[in-house]
Amino acid sequence: METGRLEIARLYHRFGFGPRPGEFKAALANGLSATKSALLSVPAVDSGAASVAEPSITNLGPRPAQKTSELIEFNIALRQQVKDLPLWWLDRMALSDHTLTERMTWFWHGHWATALGKINYAYPMYIQNKTLRKHALGNFGEMATAMVNDGALQFWLDGGENTVKSPNENLARELMELFVLGVNRYTETDVRELSRALTGYQIERSSGKVIFNAKRYDPNVKNILGYSTTFNGTSATAHLVAQKDNAKFISERFWFRLISSQIELPGDNSLEKAFENRDISKLVAALTDSQILSNPSYSIVKAPVEWFVGVARYLNLTPSELKTPAQLLGYLDKLAQVPFNPPNVGGWPTDESWLSSASAQSRIQFAAWLVKQADLTALAAVAPNKRVTWLQDELGILAFSTRTRLALDGVKTNPAQLLQLAICSPEYVVSA
Amino acid sequence: MDTLSRRKFLQLSGAAAVGAAAPLLTMEDIAHAAQTRPLPLGTPILIMVTLYGGNDGLNTVVPYNDPLYFSMRPDISYAPEKVLKLDDQLGLNPAMTGIKSLWDQKKVAIVRGVGYPKPDRSHFTSMAIWQSGAPVTKLNSGWLGRWVESQEVDPMLAISLGSVLPPLLAGEKRSGSALPLGGLVIPTGTFAVDCQKLARVAASDNKLMAAAATSMRTLFSVSNTITPVLKMPAPVAEDLPTGNGGNAGGDSNLAQQLDVVAKLIAAGSPTRVWSVSLGGFDTHANEANAQAALLGTVSSALSRFTSQMKNTPRGKDIVTMVYSEFGRRVKGNASQGTDHGTAGPVFLIGDRVKGGFYGDQPSLSKLINGDLAVTTDFRDIYAAVLEDVLKSPAEKVLAGWTSKGQYF
Repeated sequence: METGRLEIARLYHRFGFGPRPGEFKAALANGLSATKSALLSVPAVDSGAASVAEPSITNLGPRPAQKTSELIEFNIALRQQVKDLPLWWLDRMALSDHTLTERMTWFWHGHWATALGKINYAYPMYIQNKTLRKHALGNFGEMATAMVNDGALQFWLDGGENTVKSPNENLARELMELFVLGVNRYTETDVRELSRALTGYQIERSSGKVIFNAKRYDPNVKNILGYSTTFNGTSATAHLVAQKDNAKFISERFWFRLISSQIELPGDNSLEKAFENRDISKLVAALTDSQILSNPSYSIVKAPVEWFVGVARYLNLTPSELKTPAQLLGYLDKLAQVPFNPPNVGGWPTDESWLSSASAQSRIQFAAWLVKQADLTALAAVAPNKRVTWLQDELGILAFSTRTRLALDGVKTNPAQLLQLAICSPEYVVSA
Repeated sequence: MDTLSRRKFLQLSGAAAVGAAAPLLTMEDIAHAAQTRPLPLGTPILIMVTLYGGNDGLNTVVPYNDPLYFSMRPDISYAPEKVLKLDDQLGLNPAMTGIKSLWDQKKVAIVRGVGYPKPDRSHFTSMAIWQSGAPVTKLNSGWLGRWVESQEVDPMLAISLGSVLPPLLAGEKRSGSALPLGGLVIPTGTFAVDCQKLARVAASDNKLMAAAATSMRTLFSVSNTITPVLKMPAPVAEDLPTGNGGNAGGDSNLAQQLDVVAKLIAAGSPTRVWSVSLGGFDTHANEANAQAALLGTVSSALSRFTSQMKNTPRGKDIVTMVYSEFGRRVKGNASQGTDHGTAGPVFLIGDRVKGGFYGDQPSLSKLINGDLAVTTDFRDIYAAVLEDVLKSPAEKVLAGWTSKGQYF
């Protein structure tokens, strides 16, 4: 096996969405260090991503009254926007030339998991997605401040219900537990105090506009994590981000989603140190350290969206142009992962959760549907007895097992079946 | 949220993330087990019926003699002459004729005012509390999942109908199994054989790759040679009218789920717990018709199921429990509906049940913040089900809870 093959495969599948045709082989030739620097230097312009037109997702305004013709129009427009939004993002993931930004935006979507279902307007979710992309590799403190002022997140966690007269702890609790510090790194009193600091927000649901209403705000002193002052939402968030536990927690989350959800983050603090200044790009760079990438125990199951985008990138498929896009969303729904609809505020599950028999079955059908729409000329041009090894490089797979080679050999003369089996193989479904 | 389907709920609640991964069974697995090691006759069988969305208890078991009921719900109350009277105070929703007939046969226990301390009005949290059986500490396993773990390993022990396992049956290390209903398209021909080759665990597989391989294994095992249990007719319900009667055309998904359960129980599946469900009880608006239709479905599906099972030697072994994550607010809202509330009735049905009322009916004059007071902790029912139906100690499964009701 080539030196750095495992590391390069992981760079492609975990810090991107998998290689395009020929990319993996070229990367092997360039070597690990060149591949890593290329991955970590985000270009000013990504012409692939830029080729995806912005969706026409607009503020639809308040829902018209029952039994009016406006309501029908409203519902039609809303349905369209709700469909366009995930397709737009999937297109960006599939078509971007430099995938790190989209991959990290995807990570953050699962972190600040907000679901369209409750918001019931596409526009605030679209705005939130842009916010996540803007800060995806930036400063976590700035990201957290932006998110606390994000209409979709505020609405999702009942921020508008949290007033000086009747506090609602939903946002405060999740901000500590799931977004910034991690569970049990605060007390119940801290939750109550933080929820007081987070009072005063009102959200315009259709636009996601967040308005500060001083009458609903609790101006008194709050004691959060041992420090007392007249905290408001922004200053309290900055206070949380400044805690040491924030570096620990964000390192743990990256580790869990990108490296291993089976084996815990080692206690050497190297990631926390890299994240000292809350610079996300430094943390990401630390995650690509060779010690980590070369450790064979850190395998991880690709989530359905990651699997699909990987296949689409390899097959040059544009998600929104598949026949039909509604079917695409249907397949993703069967696999239980549609962008903008995480199952709960904790985001999507990992690993074995994606490996039920029911999902294996859906994946096989999904694979057949995708392969049918792809141009397989390149694969067909390879001599049948070289196709399996060729696909291993094309798909960026560490190594097909004897089991899989045997299965693939059986269908090597049929490019469509060969590809369908290859992308359903344990070696492709799991990033080694 | 309009209609809250079970699948949607499970997605929203992140149920897939909870506990151990659930094995998926094929009909063939169960058929095989039913033939080779049938459940010994006389072993009690529990059927859990989950009503998702928060069923309005006050319009299920109606206090038709209480003037407060009518004054608080001017738009959505049932007139005394409409309800199916159970005694001089309470009557069933007019749509529940099937359950009324079982009540008359003394086969229905209605536990009133069931809930838990510090009621939570979130669907997800409250259903998680009911299904985990842990109102005080948050547990990532279901109460019946923990029961599964207290038993010898057997994937047939507890089965949920549908492809997503409800948290109810999720254990920490082992879980109940899920049986998808229909819709499975199995690859055929040589391609199926090739897929099957991928399903073997390779020596070089790491843990996750082995799991990915295993997940493909059961997919292709349905073959022509296996007893097609599902094709056999469901047990016949001789005592129900088959023409224009209440059970005709009751082709709801709940009825379909119970039909499969009936066939598999009759076939001797070594399964002691079954889980089925019906969604759509979140009636914030225009409640009367919607809830009556749903309760009618529950009632007719259960009475049909009971009648089917009556003709099998296992009919008397079955206990059915019907519950929802919360009741609804006593006062109707401005849109002929009700908002999320607290306590509600739980139904226990079967030959082993001592029919009648249990627990106090929450008083409409002593509301707590506009909601019914909880008069029975659901753990009293769980403990009784565990000890008197499943014959297992309750204390361990219910984190030390010891009190129990005497319903059996």
